[in-house]
Amino acid sequence: MKQSTPYDVVIVGSGAGGGMSAYILAKKGLKVLMLEAGRDYKPEEETPMFNTNDEAPLRGVSTPDKPFGYYDATVDGGWTVPGEPYTTAPGKEEFMWWRPRMLGGRTNHWGRISLRFGEYDFKPYSRDGLGVDWPMTYEELAPWYDKTEEIVGVTGGGEFHGANLENTPDSPPGILHETPNRRLHEIMLARGFESMGIPVAPMRAAIIQKPMNGRQACFYATSCGRGCSIKAMFQTTTVLIPPALETGNLDIITDAMVYTVDMGKGDKAEGVTYIDRKTGEHKHVKARAVVLAASAAESARILLNSKNGRHTDGLANSSGTVGKYLMDTVGASTGGHIPMLEGMPPRNDDGMSNAHIYVPWWGYGQQARGELPFPRGYHIEVGGGQRMPGMGVAGLAKYGSAPFGKGLREEMRRHYGTEVYLAGRGEMIPNDDCYAELDPEVKDRFGIPVLRFHWKWADHEINQASHMRQTFVELIDRLGGKVTWGGDTDGRDAIAKGGEIIHEVGCARMGDDPNTSVVNNWGQSWDVKNLFVFDGAVLPSNPDKNPTLTIMALAMRNATHLAEEARKGNI
Amino acid sequence: MSYYTSKIDRRTALKWLSAAAATTLAAPKMVRAATYVKTPNGYGTDPDMLNPTAPWERIMTNRQLQVAAVMTDIILPEEPPHPSPSQIGVPDFINEWVSSPYEQTQKDKKIVLGGLDWIDAVSKSRFGAGYVETPAENQTKIMAEIAKAGNANYKFFDRFRTLTLGGYYTTPAGFKDIGYIGNVPLEHYPGPTDEMKAMLETRMKEIGI
Repeated sequence: MKQSTPYDVVIVGSGAGGGMSAYILAKKGLKVLMLEAGRDYKPEEETPMFNTNDEAPLRGVSTPDKPFGYYDATVDGGWTVPGEPYTTAPGKEEFMWWRPRMLGGRTNHWGRISLRFGEYDFKPYSRDGLGVDWPMTYEELAPWYDKTEEIVGVTGGGEFHGANLENTPDSPPGILHETPNRRLHEIMLARGFESMGIPVAPMRAAIIQKPMNGRQACFYATSCGRGCSIKAMFQTTTVLIPPALETGNLDIITDAMVYTVDMGKGDKAEGVTYIDRKTGEHKHVKARAVVLAASAAESARILLNSKNGRHTDGLANSSGTVGKYLMDTVGASTGGHIPMLEGMPPRNDDGMSNAHIYVPWWGYGQQARGELPFPRGYHIEVGGGQRMPGMGVAGLAKYGSAPFGKGLREEMRRHYGTEVYLAGRGEMIPNDDCYAELDPEVKDRFGIPVLRFHWKWADHEINQASHMRQTFVELIDRLGGKVTWGGDTDGRDAIAKGGEIIHEVGCARMGDDPNTSVVNNWGQSWDVKNLFVFDGAVLPSNPDKNPTLTIMALAMRNATHLAEEARKGNI
Repeated sequence: MSYYTSKIDRRTALKWLSAAAATTLAAPKMVRAATYVKTPNGYGTDPDMLNPTAPWERIMTNRQLQVAAVMTDIILPEEPPHPSPSQIGVPDFINEWVSSPYEQTQKDKKIVLGGLDWIDAVSKSRFGAGYVETPAENQTKIMAEIAKAGNANYKFFDRFRTLTLGGYYTTPAGFKDIGYIGNVPLEHYPGPTDEMKAMLETRMKEIGI
């Protein structure tokens, strides 16, 4: 590529962080190039809206080719990407890494739950002496949450809005879209939780309930994990990238696998090098500033692979913390069968795909009194109802007395919609045992060193997973139901694998101290002033609240700052 | 005797052939980086969402398909207006499943194909006619035996029933039977009716919550 004038900014990645960065920077008038490792992707043209499972191979079940099922939006990826491996260090716990290869990244199939981090979440070390504090407060990020939610479109308003729960910030009036009515089983679950003294809140999900910016409101059909051709569900490919392109300031190159940041004269980055995944060609692009938003671990991989004569441990790594303090969310789940729901009349339980309720962490008081054997909280996500049957529907036969023949149909009808599941999503505290580094031997199909993960859950997390299961077992019992899976309350058995919840963050954390962090509170590298990290890598802690909304709010804030600095000529 | 006529038409069968050819010739219709396949003969990591195909060859013999069809209809007999599984092509789905190259379905291949051959043979030796031809009472008799947990062939029954029920209730006909009324666009999401909420309220009160 012959490039006469350098771009102002090159952004690596097009997911939550990259998409928001491109949107802000292009709107602010900067000339931006976005490089995406995967192929171009247009949800309007490719999303299987309304398709039923019998139209898909194998009724849409998971396979190694499509690990979340046939209709899941993920392209060329999942837990493995062909030709692009990662490894787990010998003797360590397994770490799982979900990657797609498509424009928009994981926002095309994400879980959409959009919770704000609370004031405690920004100062965890100050509260209990564990982990580190953030170099900012909730109040500093709050206006950026407001602006992000206005663009993204987030539910949480309506009848139960403003619950005023501890460390669970609400949004200012007028921002949130109304959460749809509760489904039948959600009314029941909410009653069950409330009988345990646990308050229930309206779901905050990135699914719009009224038309906005050329997007249609949710029409309560078709699972969001497939993507959304009507743009009701937030994807960068429908919400952020198109308006950024409309400015004329954004160019996008897909199938461009970036593997190094290149240094110019002095301590400044000059651009990046990528491999064209179609041709295998290596290409170099120049820009005045480089933004990494390739996902927490991939951004760290690029920094580590950018080592050179002067930066032998990788670029931007004078602190030695690139790749360190990798975190995921603590996960444990349980399923139950609730006879109370048997034989209820058919109802449309599709709703907005996500649950319409969730349970914020309720145990701050107990933790303050030292009554719980784990220091941080978790929230609960729920599921159930008469959703579109997949192959799992066959399991309903086990609740009835007719193994086959006459009577089996009636049993199937009676038990359809009687199953519920409960999933805990908890905060993991960063520790020295969880990190990513370059594998000394393994390379991907392009010859680039791959990541090797080290993982070890600590007692904080294992005890929390045990508590999740205890809570679920108690709830199912209170509802007169039976646990059908996930009843073992041993935390080791309960806890999901590292990375399995797909909330991996950390690896290039922000901080106030260049000796213990990779970037400052603007996502700017301490070592290389025109190098920025605008993805989940910068999170110094990983509260129970799902990280994507915060990644976007930070990217919006930090990209705005970058644009301002560029305008002043400081980049 | 033919109990079942495959619901797969010639056009669809040709589509499998052309999809298989496309995989081997690497001629994707969209310009993509590559056509990746994690499992040989699978549908790949970037299949066409809007025109899905299960590109692998079908391996069940016609006899196995006939036995399977009879079994699916004993498991879930026709109950007008609800069709039997064989009337809506569930045996073809079972063939698609056991023929698939994926690891998890390969386990079922052994269990299901072995089971189909076994049930046909045992019918012949006990009743003098294969499972398709023997009278309904004999068909039901064998089914009732293997449907008991602990029977040596319970695993076959259980997996086969899972495939039958899963195959059936994932279809629009199955939706009608089981009571799935979603997958329709709505302007407003109503939630349950007041009547349903009242029913639930009564039940919650009964257990004291």
